Amino acid sequence: MTGRVIVITSGKGGVGKTTTSANIGTALAKSGYKVVLIDTDLGLRNLDLLLGLENRIVYTIVDVIEERCKLRQALVKDKKNPNLSLLAAAQTRDKTAVNADQLKEICDTLKEENDFVLVDCPAGIEQGFQNAVAGASEAIVVTTPEMSAIRDADRIIGLLATKEEITSTKLLLNRVRPNLIKTNEMMSVDDVVGILEIPLVGIIPEDTGIITSTNKGEPIVNDETALAGKAYRNVAERILGEEVPFLNLDEPKGFMAKIKNAFAKLKAKV
Amino acid sequence: MLMEESFVENGFIIDLSNAKDTSQLVHELSSIMEHPDVKGKNLCLKLGSTDLKQSQLLSIKALIETMGASIAFVDTSSEQTEASAVSLGVMISKVKDNENIGSLGISEETTSEEITDKVIEVVADTQMTSPSIETTEGIEDVYDEVSTEELSEIIPSESYNNSDFGALAVHEGLIPTEEASKYIILDTGNVLPEGVEENTIDTKTLPTLYINQTLRSGQTISYEGNILIIGDAHPGSEIIAGGDITVWGILGGIAHAGNCGNITAKVRALKLNAIQLRIAGLYARRNDTLNVPYVQKSNEFTPEEALIEEGKIVIYKKLRRD
Repeated sequence: MTGRVIVITSGKGGVGKTTTSANIGTALAKSGYKVVLIDTDLGLRNLDLLLGLENRIVYTIVDVIEERCKLRQALVKDKKNPNLSLLAAAQTRDKTAVNADQLKEICDTLKEENDFVLVDCPAGIEQGFQNAVAGASEAIVVTTPEMSAIRDADRIIGLLATKEEITSTKLLLNRVRPNLIKTNEMMSVDDVVGILEIPLVGIIPEDTGIITSTNKGEPIVNDETALAGKAYRNVAERILGEEVPFLNLDEPKGFMAKIKNAFAKLKAKV
Repeated sequence: MLMEESFVENGFIIDLSNAKDTSQLVHELSSIMEHPDVKGKNLCLKLGSTDLKQSQLLSIKALIETMGASIAFVDTSSEQTEASAVSLGVMISKVKDNENIGSLGISEETTSEEITDKVIEVVADTQMTSPSIETTEGIEDVYDEVSTEELSEIIPSESYNNSDFGALAVHEGLIPTEEASKYIILDTGNVLPEGVEENTIDTKTLPTLYINQTLRSGQTISYEGNILIIGDAHPGSEIIAGGDITVWGILGGIAHAGNCGNITAKVRALKLNAIQLRIAGLYARRNDTLNVPYVQKSNEFTPEEALIEEGKIVIYKKLRRD
């Protein structure tokens, strides 16, 4: 078996790389695929928190590289889904503790036994970024509809284009607020895609549920009612090659809202 | 006028008899074929004395057919063209000389008036591109928004008699942009960089660097000759050329043309939105009022060109013909 190694990157910090990694990983695992998440943010690890696995970590990626343990021992199994496991970053070390070749070797080993290896990339374009992309053959660039995030994403896309191993680079637009787009206070999805000119793999609406899910260590894809969770499940399906239409974020969510909307239309006609 | 069209059984007569050679003929024809009203029409081509080989006539026929029209017949005085037409099964006929646009109005079809209007539109369109246009008339037609005093500076009238399209590069159809203060020269600016002598290296002797991709933030291109980029140059990118910089797209980064002292260098783009424009030693920043976070893609871009005039960076806009 040769799995796919996908790096999730953004350039700018705080746009949702780790959230995206956790949610896509969980969604793919729920669909029955074997998934490994690698946190390469050495010294500033978060992915374990989002998955609620912090207390289970014994060995980290640095322990594997420095041969204090076997790779298999360092993989932490998810609480709910045995298909999902995490290779955690070392919190006590920094990015220089690992180099690109070592990470590539780990990715190559892991993809032998898994369908998906998702690499959560740290912010920035230095050693950490170079390490994270070393073993990947696909990339997902996460950005938000803000000029600073888009500028950094543009830089990252340019850097990814110089990596021969990376054959596909896709865009995930995070924290979209349809009501702000309507009032022209936020760049629209089309604007962002127009600037960055790479195919879109997902549009994730801003959802306050993300905050609580992060704090609880429970990825939002497990919440069947959350719109962001639905959006992440759709991303996973698109990664699997299915054609899923993008969520219509304009649509009022609740039943009452739909009725209100119908009345409004009726009024407009009268 | 190089051509005239008239109405023949749901079609046009296209007069290409004044074309000097085949390439000019094809050029004129293709500019007419772009007109939407030609679609679905039967065309009669007046080819004059131009000699067309079978392959040439075939490609003309193919051009017309790909635009959704067809050849009704050709009118030619050349034996070779006649032979080509016969071998391709294209009908040959003579067009009466007195058949002209003026007689269209009394055509029996109800839609003829409409068509007449369109025919004249086609003629008017092509007048502007026609190299043999009469100078004064043409300028009044095309540049009615610009005073003639300005024009005498900007557009040398001789250029209109120049039939070589390649030579009509710099000023033809370009007017200074209304956004006069689009770029503000930075204080550091001397026309020449410090310690550099004026240097008009002949960039024509160097091959042009042709880049068929989008330049993204952080990417830099540096070359001693001319640079042509097919794609956008995103904000954060940098283009440095010894000669001219041409961006077939939105120029949003930094562009430095003539960086080794070539004060004749130019920067041109479909949309000139560079955060800084540098030509030779002159550095200009974009006016703060134009600091929009991003430029929306549009089909309505007006190509712009920046160059040094009297120690300033001046921007010319391509005049729209609508």
